Amino acid sequence: MKKINVKFTLNGELIELEVQPNHTALRVIREQLDLTGAKEGCGAGECGACTIIVDGLAVNSCLMLAPELDGKNVLTVEGLAKGGKLTDIQQAFIDHVALQCGYCTPGFIMSTTAFLEENKKPTREEIEVALAGNLCRCTGYKRIIEAVEDVVNKRGGK
Amino acid sequence: MREFEYVAPKTVKEALNLLATYKEKATILAGGTDVVVRLRDEIIDPEFIIDIKHIDELNGIKFDKKEGLFVGANATMHEIQNDKNVKEFYPFYADACGHVGSKQVRNKATSVGNLCTASPLGDSLTPMYCLDATVVIEGPKGKREAPVREFITFVRKTVLERDELVLGVKFPYVECKGIYTKNARRHEVDLSNIVATILKVGDEYRIAYGSVAPTPIRLVKTEEFLKGKKIDDKVIEEAKKILTTEISPISDLRATKEYRVSVSQSILENSLKALG
Ligand SMILES: Cc1cc2nc3c(=O)[nH]c(=O)nc-3n(C[C@H](O)[C@H](O)[C@H](O)COP(=O)(O)OP(=O)(O)OC[C@H]3O[C@@H](n4cnc5c(N)ncnc54)[C@H](O)[C@@H]3O)c2cc1C
Ligand code: FES
Ligand code: FES
Repeated sequence: MKKINVKFTLNGELIELEVQPNHTALRVIREQLDLTGAKEGCGAGECGACTIIVDGLAVNSCLMLAPELDGKNVLTVEGLAKGGKLTDIQQAFIDHVALQCGYCTPGFIMSTTAFLEENKKPTREEIEVALAGNLCRCTGYKRIIEAVEDVVNKRGGK
Repeated sequence: MREFEYVAPKTVKEALNLLATYKEKATILAGGTDVVVRLRDEIIDPEFIIDIKHIDELNGIKFDKKEGLFVGANATMHEIQNDKNVKEFYPFYADACGHVGSKQVRNKATSVGNLCTASPLGDSLTPMYCLDATVVIEGPKGKREAPVREFITFVRKTVLERDELVLGVKFPYVECKGIYTKNARRHEVDLSNIVATILKVGDEYRIAYGSVAPTPIRLVKTEEFLKGKKIDDKVIEEAKKILTTEISPISDLRATKEYRVSVSQSILENSLKALG
């Protein structure tokens, strides 16, 4: 099997590497690039634990083949904090204790990050629809939605 | 996932050459939301994956009132549901695309991929059936067009040859009011128990259902009965009876046959009342 050379931007840094076509983007990010924030839950597009942002849009990295990374601008949860300072979304998840085991959290944070760029003043219902592709076994979602609403309110107040 | 070679042609011509060379050994990859799941589960075992997303000719959504709407093979559900013209002139199609999977899925999945997968419950298909959309296909012998009702022949079967590529789908422009309805176990991110689009065009109705037969279908007898009629309780009751003669749902892990019949009737009733 021919390996494929891919060049893409990962968390602001230009990366070039050889990937196996039958690996997913998730596997490359976790196993070749050692960024283990994105998680594999279902591996089939159902749970959102593997969510990353590609060219500004949240996608399931378990449904993306490694060669599809070529030419893309990719953001993972590791790329959010700058100089050790968390983003307002990350901070809100902590402040609201919007997690228990934390397995789903990077996915929720990436979905929220992309969504709030697209819709700056979402209603609760719009937040729920935008996050419906992320499953959480622990929290019951209430605190997650509240954390996101808090970010929306605080950003709006600026 | 088993091994395969990955190729990403930049033009339709290149893609057609690859398809002509590899034929049944190749699988076309668009958004990959069906293909990657099937690769992972080893339901398919291609030697070559042909990724069409680098073919710019397949991008975009075009509209004018004379030509109607053209949805390119690479247009994602996200792009379609947010397209200005689709929202204004085909709101039920925008709605349908907005009900596919999750946001993450819609950011990758294409409506043409939904069509080529040919699942009876494909969410973006009943609007195509109502509008008698045309599938634009290119193969080694040139371009051809197929009405959507002839394109899908059975569960996961289409008239597409292994060396052909779908370029996009054409929807005529029709002055109409329309309603798309999806019934599923969860509000978001679930496959449909029943999916339907019902249009009112002048004093006629066009009714398309998914998940009630091996392919999406038009309920032509119910349409014929409703033609020119004023909607009242008696007409609705009669239409609901005729509907049951046209659908043949099955029981599966999502719903029973009886439940599907009952939901189909409710969707008809609600849509007719709303459309008047
Ligand atoms: C979590 C999840 C939820 C989902 N929920 C829904 C849902 O609610 N409703 C629904 O309808 N579907 C759903 N799906 C199924 C899937 O997302 C859709 O069918 C989607 O529209 C497929 O589009 P794609 O671009 O990803 O296709 P791909 O997976 O890339 O391709 C699908 C098929 O079409 C062929 N193909 C694609 N483009 C072309 C072309 N231009 N010419 C010829 N052949 C082509 C491919 O070879 C393949 O056989 C879901 C999938 C997942 C993973
Ligand atoms: S691991 Fe990708 S959606 Fe579950
Ligand atoms: S915190 Fe455990 S799955 Fe969400």
